[in-house]
Amino acid sequence: MEKTSLRSQIWSEIKRGYDFVFIKDMPLWAAGIGLGILAILIFLWRYPWGISSGYGNWGEQLYYYLGLGKLAGLKEAPLTPWIHPVSIMNLGMIFGSMGAAMMKGQFTTYRAPGREYVKGFIGGALMGIGSSFANGCIEGGFYTAVGVYSLGGFAMMIGLALGSILGVKYLIWEMLNWPVKIPTQKPVENKKAPMINWNKVYPFIGGAIYISICLSFYVYSAFDKTVLGGMAFFGLWIGFFMQRSRFCLQRTFRNPFMTGDYEMVKAVILSLIIYSAGSAVIKWGFFQPDTHGIDHRFWLGSLVGGFIFGLGMVVAGACASSGLWRAGEGNTKIWLAIVGFITVYPYFKYKVANTALGSFLGKGIYVVDIFTWTWTPVVYLAFFLVWYLLAVYNSKTEKFVISF
Amino acid sequence: MSDLENIKADFLVDCRGLSCPMPILRLKKELKNLKTGQIIEIWSTDPGSKKDMPDFAKKQGEEFLGYVDEEGYTKYLIKKGG
Repeated sequence: MEKTSLRSQIWSEIKRGYDFVFIKDMPLWAAGIGLGILAILIFLWRYPWGISSGYGNWGEQLYYYLGLGKLAGLKEAPLTPWIHPVSIMNLGMIFGSMGAAMMKGQFTTYRAPGREYVKGFIGGALMGIGSSFANGCIEGGFYTAVGVYSLGGFAMMIGLALGSILGVKYLIWEMLNWPVKIPTQKPVENKKAPMINWNKVYPFIGGAIYISICLSFYVYSAFDKTVLGGMAFFGLWIGFFMQRSRFCLQRTFRNPFMTGDYEMVKAVILSLIIYSAGSAVIKWGFFQPDTHGIDHRFWLGSLVGGFIFGLGMVVAGACASSGLWRAGEGNTKIWLAIVGFITVYPYFKYKVANTALGSFLGKGIYVVDIFTWTWTPVVYLAFFLVWYLLAVYNSKTEKFVISF
Repeated sequence: MSDLENIKADFLVDCRGLSCPMPILRLKKELKNLKTGQIIEIWSTDPGSKKDMPDFAKKQGEEFLGYVDEEGYTKYLIKKGG
C-alpha cells in the first residue's frame, strides 16, 4: 500500500515538473533571462548570435540550383544546410519550436486568406533587403549588436521603430479601407472521426524531436564537427524559450505604437543587460577578441536597413527569429515570408558587400572605443533606463500610439 | 466553460486565418462601437490570441470573460468596460 502511494507521489511530482517545463505558460521575463544566457554561451562557443546568414545559405541553394549563382557571386556550390553553422541553428530553432508547440498542444496549421500570403512574401523580401543593408536582421543587427557593443545596433533600433510606425499605419489603413475578407467556412457535416487523433500523438513527436536534436550533438561530434552540433543544440533551446513564452522581437518595436503595450520592451531590456554584461566579461577577459561581432554598417546601413526591415516585419507579421518559431508552430503565412526573405537576400547581400554601396552605408564601430570600459556600462544603463521610462510613459499616456 | 457557451454576444469579429497582430487591431476597432456592458465575440485561429486577448482587454479596461475552443478556431468573449 505504502509502496504504491510513494510511487504515485513521485509520478505526480514528475508530471508537475513536466507541466512546469513544457506546458505552463512561460513568462516573457523568464525567456528574456534564458535567451540572454544562451546568447552569451553561443558567443563563447563560436559566433555572436545571428539568423540572417542562415537564411542567406538557404537562398544561395535556391540561386545555385536554379543556375542563378552569379547573381549572388557564387563560384561553387554553397555549404549544404546541415553543414552551415547558422543554418543548423535556424533549423534547430524551427524544430525546437515545433516540438515545444506539439508538447503544449499548440501545433496547428491553418490556411490564411490569399492576400495574407502575398503580404508574407513581400514583408519577407523587405526584411531580406533590410538585413543586407544593416548586415544583420533584428537579431544580429539589433539584439546581438547592442549586446556586443556595436554602435550599429542603436542606429538600427531607430530605423526599426520608424519602420514599425509606417507598418502599423499601413495595417490600420488596410483594415479600414481594404480589409482582408475572411472566407466563409462551411460547417463540417457528419465528419468522420479521423483514424488517428493527432492531438494525442503530437506530444510524443515533440518529445522525440527534442531527444533527436540533443542526440544529433553526439552525431556531429562523431564526425568531428562538435561546434556544429552545438549550433543545433543551442538553436533548439532558443526555439524552446521563444515559442514557450511567445518571445517576439518585433513586438518590442511594434506594440508601443499599436496599443502601448511594453511587456516585450521590459523583457528585451532585461535580456540585453544580461547579454551585454556577459559579453563585457568575455571581451575584457580576452576570451574572444574585442572586435568580435562589430560588423554592422553604422550609421546609414543600420538606420535604413532597420527602417526597411521594420516595415517588412510588421507587414509579414513576424521578424527573422519569431518567423522561425511561428513557422515551426504551423503558421503558413510565415512560411511565405521565409521564402520572400531567402529569395532576395543573397543578391542584395552580395551587392552591398561588393560594390561602393557597402562602404557608403558605413562600417562597424565599437562602442567601447568611444566611451572606454569606464563609461560604457554607465552609458548602457542610462540608455536602458531611458528606454524603459519612455515605454512606461507611453503606455500610460498613449502619446505615441497611432490612433484611428 | 458551459456558462460561456450560453452567452449571447452583441458583436462578432471573425479573424480566422489572420495572424498577429490583426486580431487585436480588428478588436480594437470594433470595441469603439460598443456601449458599456455589451459583449463582443472574436473568432481567431492564431495561437498567440490566447495570451494577447486577455492582456489587451485588461490594458483597455474591458472585462475578459474567457474563451472556448471550437472545432478549428477559438472563440473569445470580452465585455466592454466603463
